[in-house]
Amino acid sequence: MIKVQNLIKTFDEKTVLNDISFEVNDGETLAIVGFSGSGKSTILKIICGLLEEDSGTILTSEGDIAMVFQYSALFDSLNVHDNIIFALRERKELRKLYTEEDLDKIVEEKLKLVGLEGVEDKYPSELSGGMQKRVSFARAIVTNPKTILYDEPTAGLDPISSTLIEDYIVRLKEETHAASIVVTHQMSTIQRTADKVLMLYNGKCVFQGSPQEMCEQGNEYTKQFVTASLTGPMKMLTE
Amino acid sequence: MEQIRAYLKKSATYQLIQILEDGLEDFLTTFGEITIRGLSALKYILTFKINWKEVLEQSARFGVSSLPITISIVSMTSIIVAMQVAGEMVKQGGGNYVGLLVAMLTVRETGIIMSGFAIISMIGSSLASEIATMRVTEQIDAITVLGVDPVRYLFVPRIIAGTLMMPPVMIIASTCGILGGGVASTLVSELSYKAYFSSVWSGLFIYDIKVAIAKAFTYGFTIALISCTCGYIAKGGAKGVGIATTKAVVWSFVAIVFLDLVFSIAFFF
Ligand SMILES: Nc1ncnc2c1ncn2[C@@H]1O[C@H](COP(=O)(O)OP(=O)(O)OP(=O)(O)O)[C@@H](O)[C@H]1O
Ligand SMILES: [Mg+2]
Repeated sequence: MIKVQNLIKTFDEKTVLNDISFEVNDGETLAIVGFSGSGKSTILKIICGLLEEDSGTILTSEGDIAMVFQYSALFDSLNVHDNIIFALRERKELRKLYTEEDLDKIVEEKLKLVGLEGVEDKYPSELSGGMQKRVSFARAIVTNPKTILYDEPTAGLDPISSTLIEDYIVRLKEETHAASIVVTHQMSTIQRTADKVLMLYNGKCVFQGSPQEMCEQGNEYTKQFVTASLTGPMKMLTE
Repeated sequence: MEQIRAYLKKSATYQLIQILEDGLEDFLTTFGEITIRGLSALKYILTFKINWKEVLEQSARFGVSSLPITISIVSMTSIIVAMQVAGEMVKQGGGNYVGLLVAMLTVRETGIIMSGFAIISMIGSSLASEIATMRVTEQIDAITVLGVDPVRYLFVPRIIAGTLMMPPVMIIASTCGILGGGVASTLVSELSYKAYFSSVWSGLFIYDIKVAIAKAFTYGFTIALISCTCGYIAKGGAKGVGIATTKAVVWSFVAIVFLDLVFSIAFFF
């Protein structure tokens, strides 16, 4: 479960998040959509503790919080194998649980899940952007987290890899019953993975509802988003 | 009123105060960060939460890869000193003191301080830019989210390596320096090797060597800590990495010279 109430965050006098509230139950996925710079990544970073909120309350279930970073953030001094098992090797309470063979098996299994094989010994700089994204996906879920945050998990992927990741987000949710948030710009990702949608504009929440409501009823904001129209209440050039 | 305010804001005094304020704030935050990270790294070190494999890798970086440059810089300093004084001292009948002077100067000051400078420019800068790059590409955020303390993962092995490798580097470099001074002295004056080295022995004091080793431990620790911290608090993109690297080098240089002053006052006066 993720529960966010009256979240406010300001960067140097610019209010990026202005009174945001939402709730994601276990086994549910929330999609957050909105313009570039509307504070989507900031919400995720506040939930996983990388940024401090100015005010508001954030509650998550006990257990690990995983995050798939927008730009992968793979460790470039480690190869794919070591990237994936980073948490298992570096965390004291997890280190004792696995032998080297276990770890190899985990890596192989996770890589297969994200549709990669035989890249264990490669370094991040030797992979394409989309492959890096998938490795970072594998790295994030290795500790069986109870809360999963995806920052644009399918951006920069070809449609087939996107579908693979989307299916996996759904499968993971069903298997682990985790609460997840997906930040995305893609309608396909919303439709395949999300149970709810939250739309941000200028620091405010302008829509909250199911993907179906978003497409069928919605309001002028969602209509503009769905049709990707230039005319509507949202203006690209907000200062 | 508004116009006056705008005018005053452009005035040199206002701008100077602004610069001072920003500078002081930056100084205090950096100093605070270095202290806090240093303390939390010490906490891990004292409870032996150490990844020895990583320590070994970082030690190779500190000790082995920097050695050629460190040796060259320290040796050249000693050679320059010997060349400058040997001729004149032999002429004035002080030939017996050339070795003593070179040895004492190298052990007390130039050996350690020049090694420090070499390590700062080679290793300190690379530590800072490495960690700053990890910061601006969110790799440090990723470490945190994966439940690992970046101070334990990044700082501890580098600080241990810096602390442990600095003394051997300094000792090797200083030895080369004293030998180099001998070669230089015999080349520029009538001094014999034998005379030089017997006077070297009279200039080597156990006490000085102990202080030099204590300095080496301290400087190694300081350089690694400052460089890691400056990288860790980097902000922004490529420019931030550049700023962090410069900061690490400048802060380390000043810290080393300052500590050297403290050591000199504490142990030789
Ligand atoms: N550390 C920071 N310091 C100052 N301002 C920041 C910081 N992080 C984000 N911002 C500002 O907060 C706003 C929201 O940023 P955020 O990264 O959350 O946007 P986003 O919705 O994820 O955009 P995108 O779709 O491009 O990823 C931006 O205007 C950005 O300039
Ligand atoms: Mg973002």
